[in-house]
Amino acid sequence: MIVLHRLIRLLVVLVVVTFLSFVLLNLLPGDPVTQILGLSATEEARAQLRQELGLDQPLLVRYLDWLGGLATGDFGTSYITRMPVGSELAERLPVTLELLVAAQVIALGLAIPVGVAAARRAGRALDQALTALSFALLSTPVFVLGVLLILVFAVTWQVVPATGWTPISLDLGWNLTSVILPAVTLGAGQLAVYARLLRTDLIATLQEDYITLARARGLSPRRILWRHALRPSAITLITAVGLNLGALIGGTVIIETLFGLPGVGRLIVDSIFSRDYLTVQGGVVLISVGYVVVNFTVDLVYAAVDPRIRRA
Amino acid sequence: MRRRQGLGFWLALGWIGLILLAALLADLLPFARYDETLAGPPQSGPSAAHPFGTDGLGRDVLSRVVYGARVSLGVGIGAVLLGLGIGAPLGILAGYRRKAADAVIMAVNDVAQAFPALVFALAVVAFAGANLRNVLIVLGVLGVPSWVRLIRGATLTFAEREFVLAARVLGTRDRRILWREIVPNVAVPAASYAFIGMAVVVVAEGSLAFLGLSVQAPTPTWGGLINEGRTLMETAPHVVLAPSIAMFLTVLSFNLVGDRLRSLTDVRESGLEPVRQAAPALPATTHPVRDVLLQVEDLRTHFVTPRGLVKAVDGVSFTLERGRTLAIVGESGSGKSMLIRSILGLLPGTSVRGGNVYLAGDDLTSYTAAEMRSVLGPRLGTVFQDPMTALNPVRTIGTQVMEPLRVHMSLTRRQARAEAAKLLASVGIPDPVRILRRYPHQLSGGMRQRVTIAMALSCRPDVLFADEPTTALDVTIQDQVLRLLHRQREERDMAVVLVSHDLSVVARWADEVIVMYAGKVVERGPAAEVFARPRMPYTEALLQAAPRLTDPVHHRLRVIPGRPPDLVDLPEGCAFRARCAYADERCEREAPPLFEDGHDRRRYACWHPRTQAQDGTAAAPSSDVTDVAEGAESGGR
Repeated sequence: MIVLHRLIRLLVVLVVVTFLSFVLLNLLPGDPVTQILGLSATEEARAQLRQELGLDQPLLVRYLDWLGGLATGDFGTSYITRMPVGSELAERLPVTLELLVAAQVIALGLAIPVGVAAARRAGRALDQALTALSFALLSTPVFVLGVLLILVFAVTWQVVPATGWTPISLDLGWNLTSVILPAVTLGAGQLAVYARLLRTDLIATLQEDYITLARARGLSPRRILWRHALRPSAITLITAVGLNLGALIGGTVIIETLFGLPGVGRLIVDSIFSRDYLTVQGGVVLISVGYVVVNFTVDLVYAAVDPRIRRA
Repeated sequence: MRRRQGLGFWLALGWIGLILLAALLADLLPFARYDETLAGPPQSGPSAAHPFGTDGLGRDVLSRVVYGARVSLGVGIGAVLLGLGIGAPLGILAGYRRKAADAVIMAVNDVAQAFPALVFALAVVAFAGANLRNVLIVLGVLGVPSWVRLIRGATLTFAEREFVLAARVLGTRDRRILWREIVPNVAVPAASYAFIGMAVVVVAEGSLAFLGLSVQAPTPTWGGLINEGRTLMETAPHVVLAPSIAMFLTVLSFNLVGDRLRSLTDVRESGLEPVRQAAPALPATTHPVRDVLLQVEDLRTHFVTPRGLVKAVDGVSFTLERGRTLAIVGESGSGKSMLIRSILGLLPGTSVRGGNVYLAGDDLTSYTAAEMRSVLGPRLGTVFQDPMTALNPVRTIGTQVMEPLRVHMSLTRRQARAEAAKLLASVGIPDPVRILRRYPHQLSGGMRQRVTIAMALSCRPDVLFADEPTTALDVTIQDQVLRLLHRQREERDMAVVLVSHDLSVVARWADEVIVMYAGKVVERGPAAEVFARPRMPYTEALLQAAPRLTDPVHHRLRVIPGRPPDLVDLPEGCAFRARCAYADERCEREAPPLFEDGHDRRRYACWHPRTQAQDGTAAAPSSDVTDVAEGAESGGR
């Protein structure tokens, strides 16, 4: 019942988001017809193209038309490239997904030990140093961090390429070298957020009675930390990971531009510059669906981590 | 209490001030204008004339960074004000007029979070024109949902507070309440978020500029400068580094100031400040080691708190033999629980412990952490007050009961499971095999306390410490649990240390009693003797405060006047004197030692001991009336 309720709510969110974006994109100045034909085209040619593309229909009709297509998996055909938007997105999606997953693996892989170490020594030198470091990471815009990393690793030391992308299918090794720098750039900020969240929650958990009692049973600090304290402290972290995964699909725009990766973000930016509404709209759908799906998954993960939630 | 903000906060404020000032006075500063080409040789490094060097066209980088600050800070301030202007009234309304607005806000939040904000900022700016006004409006509007959420949250916490409810009850007009009570209280979180919002907007504007979608050339922006600079990275890295560092420092400063302002109002983190100073070390003492199971000699535990030194346990001594129950009684804050934790060595890191604890002649205070762990569980078992918080909520009962068995007794998983089922059965849990698979929240309070007792008993301890084991339970369950403890003591020939403020429990189950007040033992002896003939006025008062079945109808319970003393910097003399009817000058000057009364085990600390049973106090409180005995504890937990 709860699951169904949530699914319906998420579906409503999807419809509202796509409608808003559709309207907004169409209300903005700029015209795909001008973009295609140029400023010197005759009024007649423009009208004909308008009709061809279906742009003479009212906005609502166009939206419903597009939504109906979407329900059958059809994202529409780009006005500009005359290519199906769906296949274009499908081609770009693996790049963005790989980047996202790699960034989360790096962020979580480091955030858990860092957060645990800081919580164990709360208030002491190591904790303060880690807190300061994560604060600094949080305050570094991705493009600044990306530029610095390129400067150090690609320009000065030349251990990885500065830009470019090699698909996994071509060569795994090259693929990894091309994803490592963007993934670190994207993951650094997340690392800081995750480590801070985990630290705060762990400190609270470590003050619980059941932790003191675990000590009273003669269990080692290591065992108490990893087996007793970590899981009850993970709820906020999981929420954050979920929200981030959803939000980051749009946030890879900068990274993909900076590192020249052919991902969804890059496609959206290029489409914005070329007034390719339907492709932008397709990107929006992809991002919103991603957000919604991730959120739904997070709810399921909650129940796995905290048995108290299963009751609800 | 005013908290120090630290050097970082002031440095951050200083940097923000400096950047603001430089941006405002850019035209007056003595450097070439941002667009003057060939102000110096192109791509030259830092020099006296051009502190940050020059870019590819020979333009002064310092000048370009300072002029870039105008755009960043201008957009930042404008967008934050716009977001606040729209978001704050909506947020206050939503928080104050809860019902209708709540649903709307939730829905809007859902949509706003699923909305790809950056993509929209890009689209709007690209289509509507990349200029200062459009960037400012877009970033301002995109910030509105966060502002609404924040202000609504802050309003909600205050709208439910007593002073606002009181004003509402008094019929004060809503508008007046909003302006007088709510707006001033929401101001601090709003100010904090304004700084954090500045950081967010500066980064967002930078991102747009980096993609070429902010204020257009020739006006410099930080994001644009970084984008330009990265093409020169190999030959002139300073061109990209200068705006990067300026941007980093600015964002860091805004975040830092916002974070510090937030922590002013956040009570959750206020307890985490490190106490740098440890309590002064306590002198080592030597005692004759007696042939008993547990001997505690002159145990002391001191803490340094922000307010001063707290002597939570102050020179407690006792001995305990196998098969006997020792009760420790006293009001909340008398040091009972702290005494238990001191014996077990489960103290927070900032405390200092003195004295000795001998377990069958071995000094536990000389044990290393690892040695202590081998004693905790197998020789010393522990049960805490609240079974709701004593079990880990995310692990099954089975995992938790089996763990000490596997760690200390090296049982296999299968053996441990069988043993755990036996243990649960022995503490009266029906269908133990099924319960092993359950989670704590699926059991009742009484069941949970049985589980924690089973866990404490699992490694066959010699001494069981039970810290108010029944206080959090239903009256009907209390007696069952105490019977269980008693029966286990008999069966396993253990000693039990029972902490309680419930005198009827103590009278019925304890062999010996220790009465604690302000961290010290004020009376001790065999339970029957102490109850029949209390010597210390505090013990007497405790007994009189406990109701008895033999009391006549409408009998008035006596309460102990005053409150337990503040343990920070206790004055000299007897700690109880302020609440004592018999106190005189001597009590003021000198703390009474523990006088011996007849024999070594019977002692009291008082200059004016009660000599005979006062009216009606001779009878021990009836153990049949466990429910009303709570009155003995005047301080709430």
